[in-house]
Amino acid sequence: MTVTPSPSRAGRWQTLRPWLGVAARLGLAAVWLIAGGTKVGDLAASGRAVNAYQVMPYDVATVIGAALPFVELALGVLLLVGLATRISAGVSAALLVVFVAGIASAWARGLAIDCGCFGSGGQLAAGQTPSYLPEILRDLGFLVLAGFLLIWPRTPFSVDGWLAGDDTVEDDDE
Amino acid sequence: MSSRKGRKDAARVVREQIAREKRRKRTLWTSIAAVLVLVIAGGIGWAVYSSQKSDEFTAPPGANDAGTGIVLGTGPVTIDLYEDYLCPACKQFQQVNGDTLDQLVDEGKAKLVFHPVAFLNRFSTTEYSTRASAASGCAAEDGKFREFTEQLFDRQPPEGGAGLSNDELVDIGAGVGLNRDEFASCVSDGTYRPWTEHVTDEASKAGVTGTPTIKVNGSELQDRSPEGIKSAVEAAGR
Repeated sequence: MTVTPSPSRAGRWQTLRPWLGVAARLGLAAVWLIAGGTKVGDLAASGRAVNAYQVMPYDVATVIGAALPFVELALGVLLLVGLATRISAGVSAALLVVFVAGIASAWARGLAIDCGCFGSGGQLAAGQTPSYLPEILRDLGFLVLAGFLLIWPRTPFSVDGWLAGDDTVEDDDE
Repeated sequence: MSSRKGRKDAARVVREQIAREKRRKRTLWTSIAAVLVLVIAGGIGWAVYSSQKSDEFTAPPGANDAGTGIVLGTGPVTIDLYEDYLCPACKQFQQVNGDTLDQLVDEGKAKLVFHPVAFLNRFSTTEYSTRASAASGCAAEDGKFREFTEQLFDRQPPEGGAGLSNDELVDIGAGVGLNRDEFASCVSDGTYRPWTEHVTDEASKAGVTGTPTIKVNGSELQDRSPEGIKSAVEAAGR
């Protein structure tokens, strides 16, 4: 029998990780709730923001634009309560990858648009320059949060944890 | 001895298997529930949007055949102008180019198709863009579209507030010589709101994503100065 040396690096990580997980979960939840909340009041404008990327026909863009704010809000709520965290993080990551790809392609094609990530969106007024790089870096930051939750989905104060009962140590599911 | 240990091991393996199976089922069901929540949320968004959309619209008198804007003048060159009554850059555009456009129309060199789009509804608390655009349709009923539009830009409210109230819009309409009662009921009934939606949708379909946008015979103009507009119209008229 060997006694593990007290506060080892692994031990610190073990105590820190759940709290980092909560922070990532609530952070990502806030991102989605704000993103959806700023768009949900004007669904037609949301469709126009999607259309401004010029990657799909107008009618498809309006449907995506109308559905997206509600999906973002639902993701935000799922993450907030911590239900099906791994799936939610996976969908979040997939959405963020699509957003980054969309912004990058708008950049590559020389379009002058606002990403429409948090409301507004569409073409910029004359003289305004698009801020593609900060938008992409911001989304990559959110992607890191989603990645953390994909790998370690079990966090304290979550419905997942409550459903699982006491066995909080296992983290190979959800 | 060994058989008792074997039985204990077997029991433990079975317990672990049951626990694993329980975990697997729980994961499956929560995942299904989450995906369902997301799909339903998307469906709600689509349903809400569809219910907000109106299929039928009546274009005001003076509109073009497609019902996407009000036509001023009869010149051979077509100028399409897309503006939102709440857009500060549009007010600026009108101040710089309004006289030039009026002149081109009055001299019979160009016809101006004015598309009063409602892109900026989220920048007022009362959907001012839509209300103002629909009111401009009411003004067109009595041939006062140009005068009303000019007044709206002169008295443009700031973004982020409540915009002008319907009463204020009616005052402006009466000020440019519209029949107050008829105009007031047209504004408060929102007679041309579906038309505004149509104008806005068609502008998006035509690739217009920002205001102001000006096109001369269908091609977008980058030089938005009086000289730029004049020379583009001359070039197109030749």
